[in-house]
Amino acid sequence: MSHPQRAAAFTSDAERTTWHDETLWFVRQKRDKAVYGIPEFQQLRQLASDIKEHTLSRLDEYLEQFEQNARANGVTVHWAADAEEHNRIVLDLIRKAGATSLVKSKSMLTEECHLNPYLVKNGIAVVDTDLGERIVQLREEAPSHLVLPAIHLKKEDVGETFHLHLGTPKGEKDPQALTEAARLHLREKFLIGEVAITGVNFAVAETGAVVVCTNEGNADLGVNLARVHIACMGMEKLIPRTADLGVFTRLLARSATGQPVTTYTSHFARPAEGREMHIVIVDNGRTRQLGRPDFRASLKCIRCGACMNTCPVYRRSGGHSYDFTVPGPIGAILSPNIDMRQHSSLPFASTLCGSCTDVCPVKIDIHAQLYKWRQIIAQEGELPAAKKLGMKLLSSVLARPGIYRFGGKVAREGLRFLPHGLTHAAAFNPWAKARELPEPPKQSFRDWYAQQVVK
Amino acid sequence: MSSRESILAAVRRNRPEPTPLPPVADFGGEATVEQFTHWLHFIGGQVIHIDPAQPLEEVVRHLYPEAVRVASDLLPATVPVDAHTPTAVLEAVDVAVLRGELGVAENGAVWVPEANMLHRALPMIAQHLALVLDHASIVATMHQAYAAVQHTGHYGVFIAGPSKTADIEQSLVIGAHGARSLVVLLR
Repeated sequence: MSHPQRAAAFTSDAERTTWHDETLWFVRQKRDKAVYGIPEFQQLRQLASDIKEHTLSRLDEYLEQFEQNARANGVTVHWAADAEEHNRIVLDLIRKAGATSLVKSKSMLTEECHLNPYLVKNGIAVVDTDLGERIVQLREEAPSHLVLPAIHLKKEDVGETFHLHLGTPKGEKDPQALTEAARLHLREKFLIGEVAITGVNFAVAETGAVVVCTNEGNADLGVNLARVHIACMGMEKLIPRTADLGVFTRLLARSATGQPVTTYTSHFARPAEGREMHIVIVDNGRTRQLGRPDFRASLKCIRCGACMNTCPVYRRSGGHSYDFTVPGPIGAILSPNIDMRQHSSLPFASTLCGSCTDVCPVKIDIHAQLYKWRQIIAQEGELPAAKKLGMKLLSSVLARPGIYRFGGKVAREGLRFLPHGLTHAAAFNPWAKARELPEPPKQSFRDWYAQQVVK
Repeated sequence: MSSRESILAAVRRNRPEPTPLPPVADFGGEATVEQFTHWLHFIGGQVIHIDPAQPLEEVVRHLYPEAVRVASDLLPATVPVDAHTPTAVLEAVDVAVLRGELGVAENGAVWVPEANMLHRALPMIAQHLALVLDHASIVATMHQAYAAVQHTGHYGVFIAGPSKTADIEQSLVIGAHGARSLVVLLR
């Protein structure tokens, strides 16, 4: 299925689509308000971009420095070339710890690697502890947004899910009451957690520390009560210095939700006495992306989700329509690197308006990359047949002035007497699904111009 | 070749032309109690000015009249907590009163290093959290905060307000998993 097909399922509920659109636009507005309060915000974006670009240009050195410092801190560092190896390493660590269950805070990397189903298949009970992630986990869905995993759901949906799984009263839909129920339910899980998995927002090369940002406190609660902490990170999370965190912590939450900072910005460097800490550094296609000059800037992404909140297509099509771990504009430039054939429709899920690029806190040229992926996808013959044929037809018409002139005449006349049901039939003219064609002009520009010259 | 070696080799092969690392940023800003208070209120926390002469115990009793189990190294505590305290004891703590090292005016965050936590989980597992902060240790921005902290140590957290979530229809709910309320006692 392509993005338009999956989006059609989402937009079939017009009221919900409108709600989704407006809610995310509201988050974008909160972002603007937070950003306008910081006079140096544009300088911070440039700095963040420069720091990330520099880090990527010496990534091997920073990875080695990070590893060395983490090891000196008593942390075990593992390297995974792909998702499969990552999952195997994590399962091994859980088994070595003698654990059968674990608590997990937000990690898009483990989503990318499909860690949960792998662990469940191997007999490990996985509890996602971020509220939004827990909701979608109970519903057996994927997150639909980087930082707002359950944004596609209404409180009634959550109420129904909690009634089913947590035993809240039927019809309970008050967010306060539902959150309290989740708090109590997840506290039990935290208290017995033997292994805690977290993602990583930033990995600091000069100290070997990993930084995790949450609002709920679930990462800290999980890690600090468990015997074993496994932090899973994509290799692009590195930054050189502790001081660089000043730049990124000022950008991240403001860009994501309009908060001045996340509630918890936690720095994990050394396990507590008698406990273990592991860091799994994952490639999974990132070195390949690093080798593509046109697309390597996508590795600067700090996963704030600002490009989704602002995207007119994402807001109206929902995160699940992308069918990729990272949805929205950034997902549409990351996914073809993973599997171009499978995700060939995603770079077209954009108006190329450039709003994503404007809000990106690390200045990724997202819309330019979308455009470049389109070229590659067309060259590789991955366009849908109708689009391919349409383009061919159009280019042959545009190359022949006579046919073009004749076609224009036929269209002007035809539109006048052909029935509306035919000219606006969705099967022939998808453009007119929700739009009216303009009134056909009486004459072409060419005819009009010829008359002007005679005068 | 191990994955480590093959990944590093691939990075070396594919990495772009070197670009410079920008110098450490600092944009100045207002390091005031007013800014700090404004932002902490904005994110759901509270600032209470205390008289250094007044015993902290009285302040806490007045603030949390119903709290039975108070964990702290700054006043006579009712629950002793250290790095080895079992989870069941931690879980029952009503209020933790801990020392904050540093306040950040631009966002209401307070730096709490491991040494101030008694147990790493205490600031999050306690139902309510109070952080005692010296008004002279407020800095303007995160740049200055990291400059002052220098090394983030074995474990340390910037805590900005109470635990919260907006994962259900973007409705803000205070008290997700961590502390249900956060008060900064400013002296």
